[in-house]
Amino acid sequence: MPANRTSIRFKIRRQDAPGSPPYWQEFAIPYAPDHNVISALMVVQNNPVTTDGQRVAPVVWDRNCMEEVCGSCAMLINGVPRPSCSALIDSLTQPIVLEPLPKFPVVRDLLVDRSRIDEGLRKVRAWIEIDGAWDTHEGAPRISPSEWSANYLYSRCMSCGCCLSACPQFGPHSDFIGPAALAQVRLMNAHPTGRYDQADRLHAIMGDGGVSDCGNAQNCVRVCPKSIPLTTAIGELGRQTTVQAVKDLFGG
Amino acid sequence: MRHSTADPHFLLRRLHSLLGLLPVGAFLIFHLWENSQSRFGAAHYNGEVVAFLQGMNYLPILEIVIIALPLLFHAGYGLVITTQMRAELTRYRYVRNWLYWLQRASGIGILVFLLLHVGMTRIEGIWRVSVREDLFGHMQHLLSQPWMFGLYLTGLLLSVFHLANGLSTMGIVWGLTTSADAQRRFGFVCAGFGLLLAAIGLHGMIGFLP
Ligand code: HEM
Ligand code: SF4
Ligand code: SF4
Ligand code: FES
Repeated sequence: MPANRTSIRFKIRRQDAPGSPPYWQEFAIPYAPDHNVISALMVVQNNPVTTDGQRVAPVVWDRNCMEEVCGSCAMLINGVPRPSCSALIDSLTQPIVLEPLPKFPVVRDLLVDRSRIDEGLRKVRAWIEIDGAWDTHEGAPRISPSEWSANYLYSRCMSCGCCLSACPQFGPHSDFIGPAALAQVRLMNAHPTGRYDQADRLHAIMGDGGVSDCGNAQNCVRVCPKSIPLTTAIGELGRQTTVQAVKDLFGG
Repeated sequence: MRHSTADPHFLLRRLHSLLGLLPVGAFLIFHLWENSQSRFGAAHYNGEVVAFLQGMNYLPILEIVIIALPLLFHAGYGLVITTQMRAELTRYRYVRNWLYWLQRASGIGILVFLLLHVGMTRIEGIWRVSVREDLFGHMQHLLSQPWMFGLYLTGLLLSVFHLANGLSTMGIVWGLTTSADAQRRFGFVCAGFGLLLAAIGLHGMIGFLP
């Protein structure tokens, strides 16, 4: 438990518009138990006055579900990328330093443009084709309980982008799609109907920015708030692409 | 639909990965083993080990095709890969993150060391007959200088680290190790392999000393 129980102090990196220079401001609110970063930011928003008494524009951030399932609230909290709704104030050292999620373009203050995550998912066809020119059903798809529970782990991804921020190979300097989209390839390829498009997904991740751009630093799996076994997915995709390359080169 | 054989990216990366082990890594193992024979003295080393290698038919072709070209490709493409690194070592202090950084840093270190090492042995030997004919004496002269011993020790450790850690990431890249447990276990196997190689290499270096 932190010693300071009288107030909650924030040091926030602010930016007025995309491309404008960032600057820092500090805020303090009276202590109340059981705050999380978002609920405390809401209190700041009610009365946006900095610690040196200056009234400023309210801090902008993103959030939706408040229960760590939507992924929209990820930011850098005391230097670590994580969802802010599940970052409990009582477990953080103060002043709590908030910065926008790195590697993504800042829209304003703590709000970033994470559309690159969606682009990655589109690029790897992270969906199941349920309708086609013909009926793809073979009765209800059946998978074993153990396969189901392994797949379930990957289905929890909420596209928060924490793994991407921590990945040393991902960023504006590279076109690496990053671990989240790769894990979805692992998931969709394991689906009884999704298997039909396995080769297409594998070809998508065998091009520029695909699985080979991973450098195995394994930061992604350490920071993922949903404990998704990203590096297992990367290993399994290594195996699937090895087999796919043999098929591409030698037929079969 | 993009085909992995139409887009060279994947095959180039895998070629880079493969060449790191075969033939380059295999040569490193052979090279360290070969030089560990230094312990049996100048006569044996010059007369048996080096003479056998120097007497091989088509030696220059083998050296170029099996060692130089694969190494140059691996090193050149490795440098290209290294430009993609944006490591934040203090923010993410995980072991694997450090190993990731070290893999690239050691690659650059090896490149510098190899230029010096090949220059003062194989290349210098082309015009200095004394180097070619008494490689043992030449190495003894070099390694007797403490700073040169330090340089060789650094080069040895960087190379051995780079091979052992590269082997462990190859397990993930090629899909041998998928679960976190398997990756950890194989990591220990590679570390053991690295320590063994380092011991053989150091043994060889000490064998040259008077
Ligand atoms: C001469 C300069 C060298 C440079 C610049 C270099 C660079 C690199 C880089 C950047 C990687 C990481 C590739 C990736 O993760 O995608 C790598 C991997 C590797 N290197 Fe090197 N390297 C060099 C020399 C060597 C040597 C001498 C050996 C053999 C002893 C070697 C063996 C390996 C192996 C086995 C891998 C693992 C490949 C993988 O993970 O797929 N490298 N190298
Ligand atoms: S894999 Fe984890 S860290 Fe990455 S986007 Fe999904 S939930 Fe977030
Ligand atoms: S394991 Fe790969 S994807 Fe994950 S952080 Fe490292 S480089 Fe990025
Ligand atoms: S608000 Fe949805 S994850 Fe935080």
